[in-house]
Amino acid sequence: MNIAVTGEGIISAIGFNKQEVLRSLIAEESGIGRLKHLQSVHHELPVGEVDLANEQMKEMLGIPVSQMMSRTALMGTIAVRQALMDAGFSVDDILARKKKGESLRIALVSGTTVGGMDITELYFDHIAEDDNVSFLRHHDCGSCTNTMADYFGIFTEVTTLSTACSSAANAIMFGARLLKDHQADIVIAGGTESLSRFHLNGFNSLMILDHERCRPFDATRGGLNLGEGAAFVVLESEESANKRGVNVHAYLTGYGNACDAYHQTASSEDGEGAYLAMKEALDMAHLTPKDIQYVNAHGTGTPNNDQSESVSLRRIFGDELPLISSTKSFTGHTTSASGSIEAVICILAMQNHFVPANLGWAHQMEKGITPTLGKQSVALENVLCNSFGFGGNNSALLFSAHPTTTEEQVETGKDIKVLSRVELTSKEQLEDIRKYVKPLEARRMGKIMKSSLLSSLEALSQAGVEKPDAIITGTMYGCLEYSERLLEQMKEEGETMLKPTYFMQSTHNTIGSNIAIKTHCHGYNVTYTQGSESLSWALRDAEMLLKEGKAKTVLVGCHDESTPLFNSLLKRDGAEEQPSIHAIAMVLSCGE
Amino acid sequence: MNELVKELKDEIIEALNLEEMTADDIDENEPLFGEGLGLDSIDALELIVLLEKKYGIKLADPAEGKKIFTSVASIADYVSKNRKK
Repeated sequence: MNIAVTGEGIISAIGFNKQEVLRSLIAEESGIGRLKHLQSVHHELPVGEVDLANEQMKEMLGIPVSQMMSRTALMGTIAVRQALMDAGFSVDDILARKKKGESLRIALVSGTTVGGMDITELYFDHIAEDDNVSFLRHHDCGSCTNTMADYFGIFTEVTTLSTACSSAANAIMFGARLLKDHQADIVIAGGTESLSRFHLNGFNSLMILDHERCRPFDATRGGLNLGEGAAFVVLESEESANKRGVNVHAYLTGYGNACDAYHQTASSEDGEGAYLAMKEALDMAHLTPKDIQYVNAHGTGTPNNDQSESVSLRRIFGDELPLISSTKSFTGHTTSASGSIEAVICILAMQNHFVPANLGWAHQMEKGITPTLGKQSVALENVLCNSFGFGGNNSALLFSAHPTTTEEQVETGKDIKVLSRVELTSKEQLEDIRKYVKPLEARRMGKIMKSSLLSSLEALSQAGVEKPDAIITGTMYGCLEYSERLLEQMKEEGETMLKPTYFMQSTHNTIGSNIAIKTHCHGYNVTYTQGSESLSWALRDAEMLLKEGKAKTVLVGCHDESTPLFNSLLKRDGAEEQPSIHAIAMVLSCGE
Repeated sequence: MNELVKELKDEIIEALNLEEMTADDIDENEPLFGEGLGLDSIDALELIVLLEKKYGIKLADPAEGKKIFTSVASIADYVSKNRKK
C-alpha cells in the first residue's frame, strides 16, 4: 500500500499555518526570540514561542475562554483542523456520513510529552487550599489527545505516543502502519507540545540550552533553544486519495525506528541508533543514499547531538552528503512536535522546490557535516526527516514525490504466544532489583524505573530471551514521583537549578529506553500513554510488529506509580487511588 | 580545609544518592569519574547544582566542571577559593 499525505496543518513560532511557515522559511526569518507568553523568570533564554495567548487560540477555535484546556491541546486542535481542511475533509460531511451508517474509520494518533503540564504547574502551587482539582483530568498526555478528538467528534480511535523528542515522528509511523494493516481508513497523525516552566527549567538544569540563538552544526554551538507548536498530517492509502479525487502532497515511502540504547540524555559517539533508523527507512523504500536530495536533520544545536548525528550521517552517506539543514534554527526545538513540524517543512520544501537554510551556521565544526545555508530551485524527489529523543528513541521518516514501491505487506500468519508475564504490585518486591543492577546504577532510579526494569528482566529471564527484538511500553502517567518532586522544588525554591537526576527521569519513554540500555536492545522502541488503554495499545503494536515480521520477540510492559499526594488529589476528585507501583511485563513471540 | 573536605563528602553522598556510602569510604584524592568512584555526566550536573546552591558558585559551562571535579580534594580547593557563601 502506498501511503499518501493529503493534508498538513502546522502552528509554530514561524507561522500559524503552512502558508505563513513557507513564507518565513523562504524569507529566512527565524521565530526564535524572547519569552512572551510563558510565565517564567528565564528571560535570558531565547525560545521559539507561538505568539498567541491561550485565549486567542480559544477564540480561533470558538471555545469559551473559561473552558480549561491545555496549550498543548489548543495548538494540536488548531493544527488538526487545518490538516483536515487541507485534505478536503469537512467535519459536517463526516458526521453526516456517520449518521447514514457509512462511517469512516478515522484515527487520531498524536505525540506529546508535556501534555497538560502547563495547567498542572499553574495549579500545583495552590493545591493545598484550592478545592478544584479538575486540572488532574487534563494532566496526562492521553487526556490531551482525547480533548483534541472531542473537539471534532469524528475520530473512531485515539492514541498517544510519548517518546520525548521523536514522539510525533513515531505517531506518523504508527499511523502509516495502522493504514497498511487495514485497521483505519484515514489517519491524522502528528504531535503537539507547548512550552512549560517544567521542561524549560529541566533542560536548563541539563545545561543544554544556548543563551543565544541556536546554531546547529556550528563549531561555536552552545545548545538548543526550546520551541513549541503542533503539526499534523492526513495519511491515507493512495487508492483512497484517488477515490476522493484529492491531490497527493507527498508519499511516506519509508520509516525507521531504532534505539541508541546508550544513555538517558546523550547520544552515542558512533550514532548507532540514528544510523539504524535512517538505514531502515531507506531499505523500506528500496532507495539508496544517492537517491536522497535533502535531510532535515534533528540538529538540536547541542554539542553532543550534532557531533553524533554528523557521524551517523557520514556512516549512511559517506562523502557524498545530500543537502542537510536543521530547521530548529527557525522554530526552536519543539520537542514532541518536532517530528511532525519538520515533516511538514519537508513536504513544503518538496512542493516548492527549495531547501530551507540552517540559520546561524558560520563555523565548520571538527568532523561535522557542513549544512546548507538554503537553496532555491532544487528538485526534491526523496527527503529524509530525522527525530531523536531522550534515551535514544530515534526515528527517521522518508518522504517521496512518487511512490517507490508497491509491495504488499506479507503477514507471517503465525500464532502469537505469550512466553511469560510478570506483575509487581508492592514496593517491597523492588529489593530484588539488586539481582540485576549494581548499587551505583540503582541509586538514582525512581521506583517506577526499578519496578519496570525488574519486571521486564524477570519476564525476559522466564521466557529465556536475553535480548528482545523490540520494546513497547505503556504508561498512564509516567514517572509521577520525580515529576512531583520537581514541581515541589519549583514551588519552594522558584525557578532555580532543578535536580537533573529527577528531570532526566520525568519523560515517559525513560522507562522503555532504560530497559533498552540494560538489555542492549537497538530494536524498535516506543511508549504509549493513553490512559487506561495504554497497555492495550502497546499490545496491539506488538502484535502488528510480530505479524509484519519486524520482530520475533517483543517485550511489552505497562508501568505506573503513584504518590501520597497524587492519591490524595485523585480522592478529592472522586477517582480511584492508584497503587504505589504497578508493573506488568510480558514477552510475546510469533512462535517459531 | 579538612572540615570542608568532610562537608563536601557528605554533601556529595546526599546529592548523588550514594546510599550505601559514608564519608570514610571516599578517598579525597581518588578520581570521582571514570575509574575510582565511577560517576558519570549526570553526576557532574548534580555537582554543578550543588556548588551553586551550597556555595553560590555558578558554572556556565559543564566543561569547566570536568577540571574541578577530578577529586574531592580538587573540589575543596576550588570551593575555598571561589565560594560566595
